[in-house]
Amino acid sequence: MIEPRPRRILLVDDDASLLVVLSEQLHDDGYEVATARDGQEALRRLEAGWPDLIILDLMMPRVDGLALARRIKAEADLPIIVLSAIDTADSKARLLDEVAEDYVSKPYHYPELRARIQRVLRRLGDRIPRQSLVLGPDLTLNLHRRAATVAGTEVQLTPTESRLLQVLAANLGEIVTTDSLLARGWADTEEAEPSYVWVSMRRLRQKIETDPDRPCHLITVRGVGYRLVSRRQDA
Amino acid sequence: MPERTAGPNPSERPIAARIGDGGSPMGAGASPASTGASPTAPTPTGSRVGGINLSFRVVLTVWLLVSAVLPVAILGAAIMAAGLYSDARVMITLVIVAIVAAAFLGLLAAALAVASLTAPLRRITAAVERVAAGESSPPIHLTGDDELVRLAESHNRIAAEAARRNRELGALLDAIAGYNPADGPATLAARAESDACAIYGLIDCHLRFVDPVAVPIEERIPGDPRPVRAEVRAGSETLGLLIGHLPATRAWERADQDLLDLFASEVGVALRNAELFGQIESQNAKLLELDAAKDEFLRGVSHNLQTPLTSIRAYVDQLRAASDEAAMDRRLGIVAEQADRLTRLVRQLLTVTRLEAGALRPEVEVIAVAPRVRRAWEALNAEGVGFELRDEGGGWLAVADPDQLDQVLWALLDNAVKYGGRDGRVEVTVVADDTIDRVHVTIADHGPGVSEVDRRRLFTRFTRGTGQASGDGTGLGLYVSRELLRTMGGMLWLEPARAGLGAAFTLSLPGEPPGDEG
Repeated sequence: MIEPRPRRILLVDDDASLLVVLSEQLHDDGYEVATARDGQEALRRLEAGWPDLIILDLMMPRVDGLALARRIKAEADLPIIVLSAIDTADSKARLLDEVAEDYVSKPYHYPELRARIQRVLRRLGDRIPRQSLVLGPDLTLNLHRRAATVAGTEVQLTPTESRLLQVLAANLGEIVTTDSLLARGWADTEEAEPSYVWVSMRRLRQKIETDPDRPCHLITVRGVGYRLVSRRQDA
Repeated sequence: MPERTAGPNPSERPIAARIGDGGSPMGAGASPASTGASPTAPTPTGSRVGGINLSFRVVLTVWLLVSAVLPVAILGAAIMAAGLYSDARVMITLVIVAIVAAAFLGLLAAALAVASLTAPLRRITAAVERVAAGESSPPIHLTGDDELVRLAESHNRIAAEAARRNRELGALLDAIAGYNPADGPATLAARAESDACAIYGLIDCHLRFVDPVAVPIEERIPGDPRPVRAEVRAGSETLGLLIGHLPATRAWERADQDLLDLFASEVGVALRNAELFGQIESQNAKLLELDAAKDEFLRGVSHNLQTPLTSIRAYVDQLRAASDEAAMDRRLGIVAEQADRLTRLVRQLLTVTRLEAGALRPEVEVIAVAPRVRRAWEALNAEGVGFELRDEGGGWLAVADPDQLDQVLWALLDNAVKYGGRDGRVEVTVVADDTIDRVHVTIADHGPGVSEVDRRRLFTRFTRGTGQASGDGTGLGLYVSRELLRTMGGMLWLEPARAGLGAAFTLSLPGEPPGDEG
């Protein structure tokens, strides 16, 4: 498929040599790349025009990458992939949930990074609510926190589960095929199979349905895919 | 010469034994209130005649008179009466009757006298016995001014002092129980001073952290407050001196000194505990600081190592993508592999820190294990080592954190290559156990296996196989693997040694059957 226009990516990292090589790699794959070495520069670039995706190093010496990501999210719902050396404190990784679509640790493998970029860009056009989504008396999705409230109890979702629910929620009430769920939940490099979707859905149902054997929100459409259903009118 | 502790070293004697004269065992001593529960009601002891209290001496005199004079008088009267009769038989009968009557009266009076006179003696005896048995005794009230009264008064004084010391001991134990090492030595010292004043009724009291030998004993001047002192000790070490003054009217006996010594030694122990507590607190604070510094350091190292590694890796990728010739160049491949290897080692070190901090929270997803194993093997790029992967998992998916599982697989495969012998072959089998919903992965090599010695310490940190050079590996692989698996609800074990075969490690993870739904 030929894209109508090249996807634009803003690359924010304090490591100049990385900016050079990564922007070349991305450019070779047909992306339009802008770079920024710090938060100020990044914000200036954003004023000139919004990219489709931001790749951001969270651990920059002079700028708090997290604060920058929050500010970007507050202004526009731009997808962010965090590219960072792994941290000793997991608490920071948790904070990623609110700002980042994905996390790739340094040193990255370019094919891996490219696969993640593609997966994130697939969601463009979906309007995913960043606030809570009430689907019924016993189910509220808080996907911006990667959580769901089931019968009053908060349940944590894994990144993949959260991604799958995002796709389903963006197409609320409509059937989403197993293949598109596979493409949105997993990057190409993960070599996922349809059984990944089946098993993940089964596990998801255990988490968010009050009676997993008789699901009322996460409906299987045999041989086709899945449907997320709101039960608010029943309430 | 300064006075040393008067009694034997208090710390060497049980508390109950330290109360001294007229004391009671701890049970009774700790609860002076048990007076009211005493089985015998207090009764004034003494002889009451017609409602008038008579002293022991008067009663004794009266009874002696009654028992001696009365029979004689009866006998005399009988003889005089016999003289009025001329009949000798009647006279003799009369005299005999008189003698019998007098004797009977005398015996009766004597018996009554004994019963009456010994009553107060018996009461005193009973009271003394109760005090000796450790119970409290109500005061014995006797009137008069004789020996018996003085005996009763003496008993009352001893009983009262025993009761007072029991109260003091109770207050002392209460005070000590309230000493919290977290309060710090200064607060404890101030509390000990005020407690000593309250417990012993001292006018003033000071705890001085000095060598007791250096403080001369104050001379006792009659009419002035009486100086008292006790050494504050913790074990064999003397910490200081407790000095106070007692009202001039108060008695101060050996037992009181013992009680003060007891208090001082308990204060010493409390002070020592507070001191140690403070040391531990400050050491803890230092350790926390060091720990934070270590984390900060590792983060810095991680960032500073991974930033150049990222560039190296990225440029190698770019070079290899640029031309087929470069892509085929083995030297570039080696650069990439070594950069990856370094990355994994840095990550392993960071994982250890995170495991220790309990900061590792796995994000478990469903994963097909066999392709994952193959990818890990390819990343290892072990040239010249055979590899066989048997996937008997039947489509089962493992539930694990992908990044952490990769770390585990890499460490186990790297071990299999390292210890697998010169022309080793690594065999990996993936099976699903549907009875317990688990996926098992066994990684076996054809090396010499694991010796009995190594088996026991295999999963400890910084442990390498015996005979391995210390520069070979971090010694963290198996430890990190086992811990990572544990956080994911998995397990890792070494299979029993098999003849002719090398080491085989099996990892077990929660599994999910494939199940066609969509």
